[in-house]
Amino acid sequence: MQSRERVDKRLTNGLALGVIWLAAIATVGALGTILVYVFINGIGQLTPTFIFGWPHGVNMEGGIWPTIQSTIYVTVLAMLIATPIAVLAAVYLAEYAVQGRLVSTIRFAADSLASVPSIVMGLFGLALFVEGIGMGFSVIAAALALSFLLLPIIVRTTEEAIRAVPKYIRWGSYGLGASKWQTVSRIVLPSAMPRITTGVILAAGRAAGETAVVIYTMGTMINAPVSPLDPGRTMPVHLMLMAQEGINMPAAYGTALLLVLMVLGFNLTARYIGRRNRRMQG
Amino acid sequence: MKAFRAAAFVAVSCAMALTLVGCGRSGSGSQTSLTVTGSTTLLPIAEVAAEDFMVANPEKRILVAGVGSSAGIESVSNGTSDIGTSSRDLKPEETKLGLIDSKVALDAIAVIVNLDNPVTSLTTSQVADIFAGTIKNWREVGGPDLEIGLVNRDEASGTREAFSKLVLKGGDFDPTAAVLPGTGQVRSVVAQAPIAIGYISLGFVDKSVKALIIDGVAPNPETVAAGTYPVSRVLHFFTKGEPAGLAKEYIDFVLSAKIQNAVVRDAGFLPIADGGK
Amino acid sequence: MSDERNKMTDTDPQMCTDETARADAPRPPAGQALSTISRATYLKEAILQNLFLLCACVAVAGVGLIFLFVGLKGWPIFAKVGLLEFLGGDKWYPTKGSFGILTLIINSLLAMVGALVLGGPLAVGTAVFLSEVASPRLRELVRPAVELLAGIPSVVYGFFGLVLLRPIIAQMFGGLGFGLFTVWLILAVMIVPTIATLTEDALRSVPDGIREASYAMGATKWQTISRVLLPAAKIGIIDAIILGMGRAIGETMAVVMVAGNARVIPEGIFKPFLTLTTVIVMDMPYASGDHRTALFGVAIVLFIISMLFVAAIRVISRFGKEMS
Repeated sequence: MQSRERVDKRLTNGLALGVIWLAAIATVGALGTILVYVFINGIGQLTPTFIFGWPHGVNMEGGIWPTIQSTIYVTVLAMLIATPIAVLAAVYLAEYAVQGRLVSTIRFAADSLASVPSIVMGLFGLALFVEGIGMGFSVIAAALALSFLLLPIIVRTTEEAIRAVPKYIRWGSYGLGASKWQTVSRIVLPSAMPRITTGVILAAGRAAGETAVVIYTMGTMINAPVSPLDPGRTMPVHLMLMAQEGINMPAAYGTALLLVLMVLGFNLTARYIGRRNRRMQG
Repeated sequence: MKAFRAAAFVAVSCAMALTLVGCGRSGSGSQTSLTVTGSTTLLPIAEVAAEDFMVANPEKRILVAGVGSSAGIESVSNGTSDIGTSSRDLKPEETKLGLIDSKVALDAIAVIVNLDNPVTSLTTSQVADIFAGTIKNWREVGGPDLEIGLVNRDEASGTREAFSKLVLKGGDFDPTAAVLPGTGQVRSVVAQAPIAIGYISLGFVDKSVKALIIDGVAPNPETVAAGTYPVSRVLHFFTKGEPAGLAKEYIDFVLSAKIQNAVVRDAGFLPIADGGK
Repeated sequence: MSDERNKMTDTDPQMCTDETARADAPRPPAGQALSTISRATYLKEAILQNLFLLCACVAVAGVGLIFLFVGLKGWPIFAKVGLLEFLGGDKWYPTKGSFGILTLIINSLLAMVGALVLGGPLAVGTAVFLSEVASPRLRELVRPAVELLAGIPSVVYGFFGLVLLRPIIAQMFGGLGFGLFTVWLILAVMIVPTIATLTEDALRSVPDGIREASYAMGATKWQTISRVLLPAAKIGIIDAIILGMGRAIGETMAVVMVAGNARVIPEGIFKPFLTLTTVIVMDMPYASGDHRTALFGVAIVLFIISMLFVAAIRVISRFGKEMS
């Protein structure tokens, strides 16, 4: 090879790698900027009064406890509804399904559900649960709409988790005379449980941060919901309204920081479970 | 583990089935809870009054939401809420809805510009031309040679509706204007961008923006009470039919001297009794 | 029964290794295995299997329900205004009876394209970094960062754009700071995790042997990446990009806070504009009658667009598989 070609080759390589490094730095930098900015502006707000107090006055001075309660309530309820259905669906797809038109349709439907814009899901929840069935703005309506959103996410991660269980474990079980259900329920699922849990926790993080779906199904009233039929305002909705009204920005920053911390918490927990699982599997 | 999951699934399905069977919200209007929805401009009055009312009457609950004047009128007329607050008068097609008007306060709309903007005074027709998009540059009204940064409110806003009626006289807003959904946002955008111009309720004007003198009249409580400031309006509580029960108690409370002189003034509005309108 | 087991071993010589230990590897033929168990167990198995199938069909039911209910609420506007007028009319003035969403469609596309132009290379670059360039320790730092970016709620992105980006852009470029440029920046960062994770998966699934062969022939890292790996992972990358497109066009909360929401095609990249998603959020609070119906109509259009993206991915993947 001519030496000039060698130099050109190295130069392009160096430049290209530099650009690639820049891309990675820009991505991490974007995350860092958002986190740092929200943290700096919001940390002053995180007093016990803010977290556990109620908002009062026009501009929602005080605390945001009802929004925290609303967020936790709707997330937990949505997960309770979505997880069993999604896990069982994933079991079907991973263990029982035969390639065919039905399975193809199911997968297309799951992918479609996963890419529905959340505002469309919100209007759907409004049309079916709030107005159609007549639940009104309520936690249950929001949880039902959210669970449609979460379903494909949990199905995907659960299916991957199930498929990752080595085949020879199943064959061992069959070899001992176990039925398919016994194998799935006592061998496969427990083995895949850490990965499934990771997926579920990440989905919960998604549910907690949803805004467009919740606004049209749970409403915007400040309320600490007790029954599933109560309306409420979740933290993301509160953040949006605070930002839009633009009067009490400190409260907005505080809410944003709490939201980010919540998501961070979900992420780190999921990661911790995944790491512990990997270490145990050796 | 699986059995637990299956049991949870069955339990949740039963719970869901029961709630589906047992529900259908009956709307509002019970004697112990009141739903008040509508204008964000009225929120300072509605919410603080509600809080004070609930302190005085602990067994009663008043839920207040700011969704926009139009939405408030819509929801009180279809029964979703008990009181619809509005910062604008009823449109012609809304007068047939059977709504009774309780006027609660007087308000003025201030036209605000950035503190660095040398313009301090405009005529109503100039303001109308700016917001209609006919005047596009600040130098046409005595300012620097810069494009005008028009800031409008969203269509749900009673403030926008009132401004449209009082200043544009029903004409159209410039469709290229930025449309912002909240008073505070309008104020903070105008406060930060030198070319911006917007309009907000007088009660929200603070030191970060400058309120223009319109037709030679400065916007302040005196001129509003005297009726000389051209861009002023009445704030309403609408009920379907005559106010009764908890709604009447609440409205009477809001109209009481204590609330009118404290809460209403604190929010930057004028007691309804002050106005000649 | 032992006959079946032996038969299985005969047909599958690589029985107990991890590579072949996949859920779809051959298993005992259903009929023969089940005929040796009791009727009660057979019934239980059958019921359970159908229960799981039912759960899986919830997804299909979901899509159907969305079509049904949003469609029912939105259909009247198509009947009243006509599909062509709705999709092709460029005047969205519902309070005056004008329901054309062409402007909104164009604005949504403009936002999406810009976000893709900015975010696509950023995402692919990050993915290449993670897959080819980074040391394992760096990978442990950057990959969680990408996953965290994916988890940040869109309303926080919008909030960040509103309070930090908008004033800066207003100061640097004049104008109010709302507009296409701001939206592009925010959307680009939002779609990076979507595109990057899938691209990284696609790159990782290219066998190492191909890399080694390329290096053995004297290629530099960049030559390997650009001439061998990226083309090999082409299908996966295209899938990732389409998914990112779908995410960008469907995003509401982040866009509505920084777009400025003017119902025209913006004259410049620093002028306010309204999209298919933001029109619903802005108008819904006060819309009634035909206006509300029209918004549900917009929702159907959005839903169909997102399903088209999903279908496009399927078609391209199938096409890619046939090619290779």
